[in-house]
Amino acid sequence: MEINPMEIILKYLPLLIPIALLQFGLMIAALVDVIRREKTKGPKWVWIIVVVFINLFGPIVYFIFGRDE
Amino acid sequence: MNFITAFNKEFLEQRRTRKFLIALVVLVLFGMTSPLMAKMTPQIMTMVPGGEAFVGMIPEPTINDAVAQYIKNIIQFGVLLALVFTMGSITIEKDKGTAAMILSKPMPRGSFLLAKFTSLALTFIIAVVIAGVAAYYYTYFLFGQMNILNWITLNGLIVLYILVYIAITLLYSTLTRTQYVAIGLSFGTLIFLGILGSLPGFGINLPDALISNASLLMSGYPVTNWTGLWVSLGIIVVSITTAWLVFRKQEL
Repeated sequence: MEINPMEIILKYLPLLIPIALLQFGLMIAALVDVIRREKTKGPKWVWIIVVVFINLFGPIVYFIFGRDE
Repeated sequence: MNFITAFNKEFLEQRRTRKFLIALVVLVLFGMTSPLMAKMTPQIMTMVPGGEAFVGMIPEPTINDAVAQYIKNIIQFGVLLALVFTMGSITIEKDKGTAAMILSKPMPRGSFLLAKFTSLALTFIIAVVIAGVAAYYYTYFLFGQMNILNWITLNGLIVLYILVYIAITLLYSTLTRTQYVAIGLSFGTLIFLGILGSLPGFGINLPDALISNASLLMSGYPVTNWTGLWVSLGIIVVSITTAWLVFRKQEL
């Protein structure tokens, strides 16, 4: 039986939107924090890449280990 | 300064350091994705090259699969975050000298410790409650209704399981000088309790029994042995009391 990935995505779209929004919100919060922070542990540009490109875990790792208080 | 003031300060710190946000987002995300993943697994398999061969072998997902995914994910990430958030709670304050500064005010050390524990506990209680509501809604939408009372009990047991590891890590954070030793010891304890729990007839008396009891409840089986619950409460009380007994005599 051939299943079209688009069909599955469309079928579950109402349930996928809140998940995507939550992940996007976390990424934006982390990105704003990296940009506004004077100093981070390690280079800032690396954290920006980590936050933007590593889904879900990037922002979390930044919030836990990346900020220089 | 009393307990309430210390608690407010700690909970404010949880929010400012984004610990509250992280716990909330991570647990709620897993609350939402667990039932979805359970439902979509057979369909995802068809998209994997060569996965079509296994589709017929995967039984139709049920509510029990969704609940099992939820328990596994929330426990895994809940405990991991609890350990990471708690590891430095006392060691960092001792190292930076902020503990000495705060405790120079007339505040009992017991209140200081208890405020740490309760603020972390509140963070995880709120996160698990919202994750539980999200997971219930997703499961209802994808699979059908669950017994609400059992679902509330299950989430209560998950919270208690997380609190056990917060209390243990808080104790290690009091006993040690660096946060990495504290988290290492906590992981060691987690593994040790896991091994003990796998011994036949012994696991029912340990915190891991909270999770197996939660699964049993959701599957509709009656739970007769609650020893694990009392042992878990005991571990929390003993850990915090020991931390207090050590901390009150510690030089800051």
